[in-house]
Amino acid sequence: MKLLSNYLKEMKIAARGFYFYIEIAMAIILLAILLLAVSETSTSNRKQFIYNDMPQKIVEYLKDRSIEKGEARLANSTEFKLKPMEFEIMNQETGETTAYDFDDEKIIELETIQMLDSSTGELDETVYYVETEEDMIRLAYGESEMGVTAAMNARGKVSYQYYLQGYETDRLKNLLYILQNESRDAVNAKKDKQVVRTLEVTETLNNRENLVPIFIAYMGSLMGFFIVMAYIFYDKAEGVIRAFAVTPASIWKYLISKIFVILTTVVVSSSIITIPVMGGQPNYLLFYIFLIITTFAIASLGLLVASFFDSISKAFGVMYAIMISLMIPAFSYYIPSFDPLWLRFFPSYPLLQGFKEIMLNGDARYVLTYSFVFLVGGLILFVLADIRFKKTLTV
Amino acid sequence: MINKLFIIFKKDFLSARRDAMATYIMVIPLILAVGITLFAPGLNDTTVKLAMLKSDDIEHIEYMEQFSKVELFDSMDELERRVEKRDDIAAIAPNGNSYEIILQGNESEIVEEYAVLLNTYYELGSTKEETTAQLISFGRTVPPLKTMLVNILILMTIMLAGMLIAISIVEEKAENTINAINVTPISQTAFVVGKSLFGSTVAMLGIIGAVLITGFYDINWFMIVLVGLTSMILSLVVGFIQGLSSEDIMEAAGSVKLLFLPIAGSIAVYELLADKWQWTMYWSPFYWAYKANTMILSKTADWGTVLLCTAMVIGLSLIVYLLSLPKIRKGLS
Repeated sequence: MKLLSNYLKEMKIAARGFYFYIEIAMAIILLAILLLAVSETSTSNRKQFIYNDMPQKIVEYLKDRSIEKGEARLANSTEFKLKPMEFEIMNQETGETTAYDFDDEKIIELETIQMLDSSTGELDETVYYVETEEDMIRLAYGESEMGVTAAMNARGKVSYQYYLQGYETDRLKNLLYILQNESRDAVNAKKDKQVVRTLEVTETLNNRENLVPIFIAYMGSLMGFFIVMAYIFYDKAEGVIRAFAVTPASIWKYLISKIFVILTTVVVSSSIITIPVMGGQPNYLLFYIFLIITTFAIASLGLLVASFFDSISKAFGVMYAIMISLMIPAFSYYIPSFDPLWLRFFPSYPLLQGFKEIMLNGDARYVLTYSFVFLVGGLILFVLADIRFKKTLTV
Repeated sequence: MINKLFIIFKKDFLSARRDAMATYIMVIPLILAVGITLFAPGLNDTTVKLAMLKSDDIEHIEYMEQFSKVELFDSMDELERRVEKRDDIAAIAPNGNSYEIILQGNESEIVEEYAVLLNTYYELGSTKEETTAQLISFGRTVPPLKTMLVNILILMTIMLAGMLIAISIVEEKAENTINAINVTPISQTAFVVGKSLFGSTVAMLGIIGAVLITGFYDINWFMIVLVGLTSMILSLVVGFIQGLSSEDIMEAAGSVKLLFLPIAGSIAVYELLADKWQWTMYWSPFYWAYKANTMILSKTADWGTVLLCTAMVIGLSLIVYLLSLPKIRKGLS
């Protein structure tokens, strides 16, 4: 009963303050961004500058053939500004270096072709046809993109020179060496014969849906860590916590009521983002269980950290370091082939993956296992925070 | 006037030293810079991974190792268990006289495309030795991902300085020291500038240290310091407005959270959207700071663009400052 009245009192105070409404406003802004600014399909912004050292008729023929086959489409021509610049290039085979020094500034308009993904028909790469090799090299350097010279010899064989930035991996360079060894027809014929077997029938999130776990995890659960600390330091400054030393109320009830306020805010703001974007796809029971437990665990960590300091500015270093380190697993979330073992020890790793599974209505066992882990971890942190606060009531 | 500014700067420095605040602003970017230095190479080398059987033809394995990271397994069961793990990895395993590509089913399209392409070239017998291709390099060694991380670190440091100014003002308000300023010979402007000097000096040192640690030695330092200083004006304006308009620490925390939006939006638009959509973030000074830093760190900046970006940062910050002037005056009175 005391717990409920504590919670209601805290909610009334929160509703009077500005913060609760910032959370709601933030959720609405993020929802608007997701619905209006983020498309469901991702668009590639890879560029390549090509100089064709061959008769124009052949260039036109090759281009028309790609367009007819649905491998490419014509786009509006694009303007590029060439600025004065000087640089050196080195041929990796011969070691020969060439220095370039351009003093002039000019604007050129380039014919633009969009190369399409053979299976999905979506934009794969934008290719710009440049009229002189010098301009192509200048653009590849200035725009930090790949440049290519395609030259045809007297026997009709095309050879390629790739202009790379220099930081490309050896594996990519090896691929470039073999990429044009065979004719495109031979490659396509062989590709069609490749057998691909999938082990599971799994759903994937589209570009827009893929952002929901990130927003929920970072703007919801993880922000609970920061906000609960702000609440505690606010009360410390006002002397509220010290007042508990002379009341019959238990400190844990006070602490849990703070967490309940965070939970209410996080549940409301996360629902505002998730429901309109994901519709009926996620398992909402699992979603709320996971959301509440993870928010509780991370807010408990915030309470424990707050118990060691008496003002937010003193706690700032630890708080900021923890928040930044919790953001690191986002790299693995976005680059799934980057998944080192050490990254899995960050609590935000299962947090992001758990929300992803929920959005996919996928691996419930993974979500429940980590719900249990977060619950146990959260309880331990909460008990430790309670002990710390009892000890430091008079500080 | 200068003397008074210096007194506030010194006072802030001493009180911040007690709270270890200056250490935080300076040390955190340095620690993060060390993290980026250790972290970026692995992040850059994220070629598609392949799982293969140890019993597979050694030539096949060696061929694939030229183009991807290969993990070897004893049995098909182990191979399939590996594919079913959470990260993206494709398996290539013998299937009769040929090979099959095994996927979990939720990998990104590029993983399937890459595995299919590599096996196609293997079956066609395509090798590096028979190539007619030549590779020419501009000699750049810093990958764009590292540049992006360092640039984000710079923005985070600027934001950190703003946050700390906001928090210190809220705390000063709670302790009524701001009211006390009004009865001293120090003017409100001197108070504002004096407080700003401390945050910006320490943050600037943090940024320079972080840029050096991450290995960007031969960039144009005049440009980076110019952009850094103008970005500081922005963070100071934001910090002051947040601090003075927030009644308590909770409101300041909320404002800090809101500040993430234009920062994240500016980075996302610059990095992900096509040129025709870049205008959508022209209103954000963070966009201009990020753009200028990207060009400076990748050594493609020219003075014209850098000066335009800094002018935009200063101009937009001034607009925000002028619009918020009544609020700042009210907060100080």
